Amino acid sequence: MTAIIEVQNLQMKYGKEEALKNVSFSIRKGEIFGFLGPSGSGKTTTIKIMTAQLTHTGGQVSVFGQPASEMNKGHNKSKFGILSDNSGLYQRLSIEENLLLYSQLYNLPKSTIEEALAFVNLQKDRKKKVNQLSKGMMQRVVLARTIMHKPPLLFLDEPTSALDPVNAQHIYNGLRKLNELGTTIFLTTHNMEEAELLCNRVAFLHKGEIREIDTPLALKKKYSDHSFTVELENGENHVVYNGEQGAVQLMEWMKAKRVSRMYSNEPTLGDIFVQITGSDL
Amino acid sequence: MNISVKRIQAIFMKDYKEFSRNYVISSVVLMPLVLALFYGRVGSNSIDMYFLPLNITLSMVTTYVQACLIAEEKERNTLRGLMMSPASTFDILFGKSLLVFLMTGIILAVSCYLVGFAPKQIIVIALALALSTAFYLALGTICGLFTKSIMEASLAVLPVMIIFTFGPLALALGEDHLLYKIVEVLPSTQLIRLAELSQANAAFTELIGAFSIITAWTAGAIAISVVLFNKRTKDL
Repeated sequence: MTAIIEVQNLQMKYGKEEALKNVSFSIRKGEIFGFLGPSGSGKTTTIKIMTAQLTHTGGQVSVFGQPASEMNKGHNKSKFGILSDNSGLYQRLSIEENLLLYSQLYNLPKSTIEEALAFVNLQKDRKKKVNQLSKGMMQRVVLARTIMHKPPLLFLDEPTSALDPVNAQHIYNGLRKLNELGTTIFLTTHNMEEAELLCNRVAFLHKGEIREIDTPLALKKKYSDHSFTVELENGENHVVYNGEQGAVQLMEWMKAKRVSRMYSNEPTLGDIFVQITGSDL
Repeated sequence: MNISVKRIQAIFMKDYKEFSRNYVISSVVLMPLVLALFYGRVGSNSIDMYFLPLNITLSMVTTYVQACLIAEEKERNTLRGLMMSPASTFDILFGKSLLVFLMTGIILAVSCYLVGFAPKQIIVIALALALSTAFYLALGTICGLFTKSIMEASLAVLPVMIIFTFGPLALALGEDHLLYKIVEVLPSTQLIRLAELSQANAAFTELIGAFSIITAWTAGAIAISVVLFNKRTKDL
């Protein structure tokens, strides 16, 4: 499959401080790629480099087959959408007026405003001024603005950080729908459940370095101890490992009808991150 | 150069809506008019006096409001959004200057009427004021781009207001004074010179010097504002 983004040995230095150290990855067309890491790990810096807001100090970065530095050229700007902490809104304008401005800047028909409002479930609030909105609602307006021109590539920097679970779920459904239509999504998040729900592949970024990169399932298999917990009727919990000894023990409990519950000890992405980096998200 | 009338219009309309709902900044436009009314009532009849409220309009309305509009975009993180959109540097800078340009034009015209200034060569004066407006707009853009918030921008325009508005008053020090030679080349001084010559029905060739100086200041300020704007499209 075609690579939309190719990053090879990316380095970024701010003075003597290395923000990114030989970061390499590629993202295929139609993929949802999760870039996971704590604050200050280099996620936003990477997005800024890929969108020509920052010039890297080493390595190669290409987006749509062109150097990332070309992404601020007029014809390239419509090819991607970006949502980040720096995506501001006009406070004295209504939601609709904010979207209207961007529909005109991208030369879009007015109907796209309706679609964008429906995407973030804000049709009823369209006339509300932005300065009357909650942080979560503002985040949804920014997201609506980001996807309005239906770009083939989306950069989403913590898109659901300010959202409640219901609205986050609404956004997940929308992002899946966009992805089904062919949109490639580069997603940064702290939320490991979100990454697991949405991403085809994830990369763990820690102190400017990629520590792991794979599908969530492959990572779970790799870091699993292949055990599960058996809860017996008397309330006792036993960890059973894959193998003959575990099978015999389990068979005994099952024959005696003593098993109350069984569940997998498969690690979550958060567990794996902690295991790899030794630090929490 | 990529120019889109639709995008310029969109940015202009957005600025108009925002400005009309921002009572703190929009009330500033009334101050030069009050001053012009006062000067008109006092009965001033020298070009210097006529042009004091006009130069105040150019610094107080044109530079100050423009600086605040740009600084607010930076403060609210909306300028980067515009820069990341398909709008070109020209679309954004022209669109963001249009509102203040038109507003300045109206205030200058009303101020001229209030102070009782009737230009004999109206095209010459209109052209000189339009050029000066472009210069002060570029200064406002530079102040806005250099600062991070409206508060900072409000402070940054103070030297501009003092130097360009009240600079011509230093001419009273006499030709031998060092300040005279500096102040003489200010666009605000040249604007007054040009008006004096124009009111004396001078030939166009006599006006070229003043026009050239104002044009040079304007071109320089616009060039700096464009370079600065393009630098602001990146973090480093």
